[in-house]
Amino acid sequence: MSNEMSEEMKRFIGLSAVLTGFSKSILAPGIDPVDIKSDYLPFFRKKLAEEFKDSDLFDTLLSTFSDLSAKGLTDTQIGQQLLNNDNGDFVTACRKLIFMWYSGAWPTIISARDGQPESTVSTLISAKSYTQGLVWQVMQSHPMGSSNYRYGYWAKVPPELSAYTGHDNQTQGAKQ
Amino acid sequence: MSENTHYDVVIVGSGIAGAIVAYQLGKEGKKVLILEAGQKVPANRNHYLDTFFKANAKTPESPYPPTTQNPDASTSDNPLGLPDPATENAPRYTVLQVQPWQNARQCYFEYTPNDRKLAPDSPEAKFAFASSYERIGGGTTWHWLGTSLRLFPQDFELKSRYGQGVDWPGGRDFYQDLVPYYEKATNEIGVAGDKASLDRLYKQFEVAPDGHYGAEYDYPMPGIEETLVDNEYVEPVSSLSVDGNPLYVTPTPQGRNSRPGERRQCAGNTNCIPICPIQAKYDATVTLARALQTGNVEIRYQHVVSNIRLDEETDEVIGLDYLRYEDDETKTRAPESGAVTAERYVLAAHAIETPKLLLMSNKNKKFPNGVANSSDQVGRNLMDHIMYLAWGLAKDPVYPYRGPLSTAGIESLRDGGFRKSRSAYRIEIGNEGWQWAADDPFTTLADFVFGQNNSQLNGDSVNEHGQPLRWDHSLPAGSALFGESLVNTLNGIYTRQLRLGYLIEQLPDPDNRVELSTTETDHLDLPRPKVTYRIREDYVRNAFVSAKQVSSKIFKAIGALEYTKAPPPPQFDTEASKQTPTTFQYQGQNFTFYGAGHIVGTYRMGDRKEDSVLNRRQQSWDHPNLYMVGSGVFPTVATGNPTLTIAALAFQAADNILEDFSTHPKR
Repeated sequence: MSNEMSEEMKRFIGLSAVLTGFSKSILAPGIDPVDIKSDYLPFFRKKLAEEFKDSDLFDTLLSTFSDLSAKGLTDTQIGQQLLNNDNGDFVTACRKLIFMWYSGAWPTIISARDGQPESTVSTLISAKSYTQGLVWQVMQSHPMGSSNYRYGYWAKVPPELSAYTGHDNQTQGAKQ
Repeated sequence: MSENTHYDVVIVGSGIAGAIVAYQLGKEGKKVLILEAGQKVPANRNHYLDTFFKANAKTPESPYPPTTQNPDASTSDNPLGLPDPATENAPRYTVLQVQPWQNARQCYFEYTPNDRKLAPDSPEAKFAFASSYERIGGGTTWHWLGTSLRLFPQDFELKSRYGQGVDWPGGRDFYQDLVPYYEKATNEIGVAGDKASLDRLYKQFEVAPDGHYGAEYDYPMPGIEETLVDNEYVEPVSSLSVDGNPLYVTPTPQGRNSRPGERRQCAGNTNCIPICPIQAKYDATVTLARALQTGNVEIRYQHVVSNIRLDEETDEVIGLDYLRYEDDETKTRAPESGAVTAERYVLAAHAIETPKLLLMSNKNKKFPNGVANSSDQVGRNLMDHIMYLAWGLAKDPVYPYRGPLSTAGIESLRDGGFRKSRSAYRIEIGNEGWQWAADDPFTTLADFVFGQNNSQLNGDSVNEHGQPLRWDHSLPAGSALFGESLVNTLNGIYTRQLRLGYLIEQLPDPDNRVELSTTETDHLDLPRPKVTYRIREDYVRNAFVSAKQVSSKIFKAIGALEYTKAPPPPQFDTEASKQTPTTFQYQGQNFTFYGAGHIVGTYRMGDRKEDSVLNRRQQSWDHPNLYMVGSGVFPTVATGNPTLTIAALAFQAADNILEDFSTHPKR
């Protein structure tokens, strides 16, 4: 297995990093035996084609991201421009990409009806994707049912948030 | 293959109660057969674990066969893809069946709908039972939490002290007799506990005037480390009192290893329910293995006992009929029928399947209403600890979703003069954030990715104290975030999540009952349980009012913001499929109740054969060579999680059976 990522994968990871707020080194580590990214990329491409009936949407996302990153913008600026796109499907696809990375599941939005507000249901992609969900990292913990910690870790404050996200500019436990 | 058909003892069910009895009898040289309806204990737990990881709804039953849901079978009428119980050989009730409780194609229990004219606060409202169980080798301890509390002596005399419910046979004496068996149970489970903390509790409740709580009372393992979540409560609640009782946090004695031993040391997978991935938590497969290693115990899986045969003269049990099904996904092969005989019989199939079997056994001339049922008490008095949940956000991070699911509780409200007018409860401190309360982390995630507000954190929601609940007042309602602000928002929320659960003592109500369905069957053509379940008494409903007030008091004391969400009013004035399964209205307030998984009371012990199924020896009044074990024997659900008491009673029953053998070797 080569550690060299394809150009397409590099762009997919770049886009994912901007949207999730996790560093590329967390989403696609140099040594990556789990390699969830290689499951997510084809799955995401397939889902976009199916759901939005637009086989070009995936490529449009990646090329738009490439164009923006070539301009030397910050991650926040790139993300804002992606999510301000005029194409509603484009924005929804970005949001579903975020949800997929965080949960390991594919979301379906249930519109508000019968007095019930809009909500989300989701279907897990695989056993592996469950354990790779970024939600467990953003809470400075581990997937429920899959801990690599040792007895008693729960009595101590966990490592800094940056150890989980790969970014050192976040405010752990921020409260406005 | 030739199989023995006669044994000293046949036991139905291989959960903790059946396994303990088998082990104790096997150790003493009795030839024992266990008939287990479900599938065999797997060689390792990887397959169960993988099923759990893949499950969309990670409910307590999700790792175990038969499959709880199949997303590929999802339809508009059956969005979760629930299997039809009529196609399963050993179906069981699951919490996913609570919502479609009125649909027998998705729900194993048959329920009858409420009268549409029922007022929303009517005590006659019927609900879905909220707790589930397993039918597999090792039983429901696969998904128990591990809480290993003793009951208090006062729990055994609810009627004589407080005029409510019933006493256990002998009242306080029953507790005293159970003490040595509590010690055996504590050792069998390998409980980790902190004796000094429990001493304080026992002293408060005057468990023993001399301060001796049993000859060998201690814990085989030191107490499990408490979590940062637990510590958040310790100081602030100690200044509070409720109905005259002081509040304080007690570390929970737990059936999980705090040290490496025969099983692994707990690694804090935060997944005791549905499945401990490393078996740091005790489950009954441990005792079952010990039983089989005596060389005197056999087990047959996929053997569903369908009938109990009685001798017409002596009323003794003379045999069990069973149906054996194959491991055949397509279910093309018909089940084989067979029978076994023994000197003595033990039913240990938990509090739904045991009464079902007794009621199904209605072909014996003198017992047309079912075996052991001359009192008409079989299946009645179904109880649970009905739970009130409260949740909130701590003022600073407390890092939940780490450690065992619960490591401490407030036990100091489990008894007091208030028990004349409302149910007692213990308060469990949850370490799992809002996972149970609000299906987090996924609800909050979806809210801030898609701009929704089901968590109440991302809109204009206000709690019942008038406090606005939006997490970040600098962001508009319905914010959809990305990147760094998403990371910081989610981290700030998840690391502060708190949950309290109140285990409220339900009273025995003879109309809360398991009967046989006359219309629904499983794949073996055996009748399915028909369940009627109400929360009738103001006594029990008062405890929900108390729990709600106490939660607010506790959250205020620790500086937390409360997010507990009251449900919409219950709906009965609608078609059956839309009737509310688990919401009741009382004193103008709406409450959702949750199940504790503590299924209790359907073949109770008592002092009189007229109103109980078993005597205090857990022996049938009607059939002296028939014993029953498990939480179905409890006359009341009491104030502690039941498993330690189930185990203690199983040890006691085994001694009673051995005593019978020594006085009457052959029936």
